[in-house]
Amino acid sequence: MRISMEKLQSIVLGAVGILLFLSLWEVIGVNRLAGLTWPPLSTVLVFMFDPSRQALFLRAMAASFSMVAAGYALGTLIGVLTAGLVHVVPVLRPGLDRLAGVIHAIPAIALAPLFIVLLDRELTGMAIATLNVFFVLYVATTSGLANSTVTHRDLFQVLGSSPLTRLLRLDLPAALPAMVSGLKFAIPAAFIGAILGEWFGSSRGLGLLMVSAMQNFQIPLLWSAVFIASAASLLAFGAMSLLERFVYGRYA
Amino acid sequence: MSTSAKRSFGSTLRIGLSRYWGVLAVLLAWQAWVSISGVNAIVMPQPINVLTDLVTNPMVYITNGGQTLILAALGLVLGMFLGTIVAVLAWTSRLLNGILVPLGLIFSSVPVVALIPVLARLLGYDLKTVLAIVVIISFFPAFVFTSAGLKALPPGSDDLFKVLGASRLTRFFHLVLPSAVPNWMIALRLAAPPSVLSAMVAEFLMGSSGLGYLFRSAASDFQTERAFGTSVVATVISVLCFTAALGAERRVNNRWK
Repeated sequence: MRISMEKLQSIVLGAVGILLFLSLWEVIGVNRLAGLTWPPLSTVLVFMFDPSRQALFLRAMAASFSMVAAGYALGTLIGVLTAGLVHVVPVLRPGLDRLAGVIHAIPAIALAPLFIVLLDRELTGMAIATLNVFFVLYVATTSGLANSTVTHRDLFQVLGSSPLTRLLRLDLPAALPAMVSGLKFAIPAAFIGAILGEWFGSSRGLGLLMVSAMQNFQIPLLWSAVFIASAASLLAFGAMSLLERFVYGRYA
Repeated sequence: MSTSAKRSFGSTLRIGLSRYWGVLAVLLAWQAWVSISGVNAIVMPQPINVLTDLVTNPMVYITNGGQTLILAALGLVLGMFLGTIVAVLAWTSRLLNGILVPLGLIFSSVPVVALIPVLARLLGYDLKTVLAIVVIISFFPAFVFTSAGLKALPPGSDDLFKVLGASRLTRFFHLVLPSAVPNWMIALRLAAPPSVLSAMVAEFLMGSSGLGYLFRSAASDFQTERAFGTSVVATVISVLCFTAALGAERRVNNRWK
């Protein structure tokens, strides 16, 4: 009973915080406390939901979100497969650890010229998102695969199971919680990758809207594009948090 | 003597190879791809030409790279400092904590890099804006991880301090703040690569100066050697920042535990 009271209190306080933030946004905008480049929230919302702009935003969203989704799926696949590979062939691990670390430390903008040469400009966002997601999933999965206990491993060994059976029946279920946490933290990383990619010369998407609105002083458009990208990331992050809670309840 | 030296050289080589074969393989694949496909030098420079540009025009790279490094490092330190201050403030009051922590979590689950155009428009196109952008982007991990660390006290320690009648201030400086240090170092490591990235992206978008601007002007003039040289310098700076943060984290954790 007391715990639920505490939980209730934290939910109420969190909601108060979000409301305060949104009203602060509105008040600063209405009174022009931060100048003309800070529009009130209401202006941004009216601008965003204006029927005449639906087509513009829907097109940009379709372009960006497909890059986010493709990069997220591809990065997850490569990250999990690579982690599985170094788990089965441990000799490869130090080299791939370093490679993943270097890829992570290289700022995406430094890879942009390479992507522009190698890929279609429209796919740069997907490529950066893939790299970002790959790193998160590789680290999460390798650390998760180390979770199965030595006793369990010995048991599988004694019963004569093949390495593949052990991977699928023991190590993978034990790694699932860490992997789902990785999937959660990879969401903003995928969005950042896709938006960055669009800044390096894509001809469509939310990132392009942001840059052209910034350069042409279209303030409500700029804020709307940022708002849409942030809201989408937040929603996906929330969905993955729910999945995470379920998986932790089942496997951890 | 000479055999042991030879052996140690051999084992160093083996360790180096086992750690860096992945990086080496990527570099070799790049060189091989350029040589075999024979793409135009304007499209894809050979690594050796990039190196030549780096060596023959050091001042361009040093001034712009230095600027980016200083902005990124200063912004990282200031952002960490601000994040820590706000986390400590939130720790002092349950109300403030309940209000600020969810907001911090929301901001760390959105693509903060997307805020750069908004901030650039708000603050104006200049160097102070680049710094402010790095500060804001480093602020969120510092705040989230420090406030989590301030609450992760060793089990039972809090009761001990209470039983011994420690004042709130003593408890803060001798128990709460030290227990937040490992988390604080994680935040530093996590925030280091994004600080270099956000400084460069801000310079790129605003077209002011620094590595981001150098990259932008090189790319639009089709100076591909310069563009790739910028990438090399940016990578070195970023890897240095990350390695320094990682080293600091290891050192602090060793002393702390």
